[in-house]
Amino acid sequence: MNRTLQTFTAALAAALGSAGALAQTGTQIGRQTGPQTSAPVNVVKVGITDYTTHSRTSGITGIGVPAGADATTGNAVTLLVTYERMLTPNLGAELAVGIPPRVHADAAGSVAYLGDDILSAKNVAPTVFVNYHFGEAGNAFRPYLGAGVNYTRFTGIRSRLAPDVQMSDSVGWAVQAGIDYALGNDWGLFASVAALKVKTNLVASGSTVLQTTIDFRPIVYSFGAAYRF
Amino acid sequence: MNDTRTWGSSLVVALLLAACGGGDPDVPGSGSPAGAPTTKGAFTAVVSFGDSLSDVGTYAPATSLAGTGAPPYFGGKFTTNGAAGTVWVENLATALGIAVTPAEVGFGSSSVKCPAAAAPALAGTCTGYGQGGSRVTDPNGIGHAGGALTVPVVTQIANHLSRFTSFKPSDLIFVYAGSNDVFTQFGAFTATATQIQTDAAAGKITADQANAALFDAQTAAQNGMKLAAQSLAGYVRERILANGGKYVAVMTLSDIADTPFGNSLPANVRPVLTDLSRIFNLWLRDGLTNQPVQLIDTFTLFKEAYGNPAKYGIANNAVPACDAAKISAITRGAVTDGSSLFCNGTPGAPYNGLRTGADVTTWQFADGVHPTTGGHKVIGDSFAAQLKSFGWI
Repeated sequence: MNRTLQTFTAALAAALGSAGALAQTGTQIGRQTGPQTSAPVNVVKVGITDYTTHSRTSGITGIGVPAGADATTGNAVTLLVTYERMLTPNLGAELAVGIPPRVHADAAGSVAYLGDDILSAKNVAPTVFVNYHFGEAGNAFRPYLGAGVNYTRFTGIRSRLAPDVQMSDSVGWAVQAGIDYALGNDWGLFASVAALKVKTNLVASGSTVLQTTIDFRPIVYSFGAAYRF
Repeated sequence: MNDTRTWGSSLVVALLLAACGGGDPDVPGSGSPAGAPTTKGAFTAVVSFGDSLSDVGTYAPATSLAGTGAPPYFGGKFTTNGAAGTVWVENLATALGIAVTPAEVGFGSSSVKCPAAAAPALAGTCTGYGQGGSRVTDPNGIGHAGGALTVPVVTQIANHLSRFTSFKPSDLIFVYAGSNDVFTQFGAFTATATQIQTDAAAGKITADQANAALFDAQTAAQNGMKLAAQSLAGYVRERILANGGKYVAVMTLSDIADTPFGNSLPANVRPVLTDLSRIFNLWLRDGLTNQPVQLIDTFTLFKEAYGNPAKYGIANNAVPACDAAKISAITRGAVTDGSSLFCNGTPGAPYNGLRTGADVTTWQFADGVHPTTGGHKVIGDSFAAQLKSFGWI
């Protein structure tokens, strides 16, 4: 777990670090090209996210597993942090990370009697978006649409049915729609909804070996505060 | 443009940093052994570890005609006994021109190791270690309480090493065990399951609780099979291969549901029995992945034979050839379960225990689980074909 946190801290630092360099360059360009808007080019958002899943699986297969065995995944609320760099007045590149939510799975289908929380894992899921912001700097309300890539890694996997569970990493598309509300030049509020493609191959080794593919189909609802600089 | 590129590449770096690890997970049991010999062996001994299916006569004294433990014996192998009543180990050895005799003979507290050594020329032939009832590790095999030796495979291997010091490149080694672990685990499961069903019927537990308890009982049985398989694979690696074993064939377990015993079970219980063999096979394969042995997959081979009996010269694979009532009469009531250990197929003999009309060559099963002489021929032929395909014979 520590390593994962470190990895993400490093990733975030790498992203922010080079963004800092960009900011400098941007300022220079701004100066050279004369009368430009002084709109801030860096946006940091912190918010609450509801990570809701609408999973579909390939069914759970393995020796000794009853036909029709399945599982469903639940939802999780977590903290979201994003950094967006405005590349043009309307176009921004955004990195979204969060405190990885622990998503729980419940037994379903013919093995529903096994009950809830047969498996849980933290979805470590940095997502990169390129966003198009409607309107212009200074508007109170600015809706935006974004598309990008989600990477999800599953850590801290726990199951009471199998001591050894492995889940493959997921790389998939991500889209979002959101709206920014400016409270002033720097502070604001935002709300967004995102859909992600998050799919993993799972192999659980206990007394037997279980296999399934989980398509989480998450819809992520977020709201919070934005700061521009 | 430059800026965008820098930004883009830093994101790529960030993603790559995050992405260290996590491709498609390994699936245990999906690998294969590797590195076994591919050339013909110059075999001088057939060394066989296992249970009743490989037993070449351990318990013969229990079938003494005089009742004294002295020969002649009317039984002694788990098949249709008689002059031609050989088991697969003997069939294969004979085809290779090699003699194989029991590593230990006896019953109860009286047994003799390597009795063939009484004739010095045969001192090296007592490499048939398989004993009816033997498990992989547990010395309390099936029938042990009643006097069966049931020396477990782990000790069978140790006994071979203490007599012969090591394995030789000229040993053709068979390891075929685990069925008695299946019976033990299956027995434990059915006992628990019966209790659970009784409790559920009495309303002591809900249906969901009953299902969860049955799942737990099945998981416990599966864990028993996993442990047995991992242990057996470990013995092969660390005690046979590590002590010079070169030509090592390890058998998976067949589907015991495909026997008269299996067919006597309720339909909803048979899959539990099948899966115990499959779980064992999974972990055995996992434990032998990339090991220089050959696996002989009896699960597939026997299922094919069971499903196509006529192709293998079998006319009846449903009814045991031995008659429990006759065996009970012959043993004066001592053996009532129709065990083929006490079943003689010699025509006209007063101790003939065959069911009327049974044929030891065209009926597959002698008793609920053990093959007749014909059944053993099918097994021996199929193993010989495997050895040929390995290039070993």
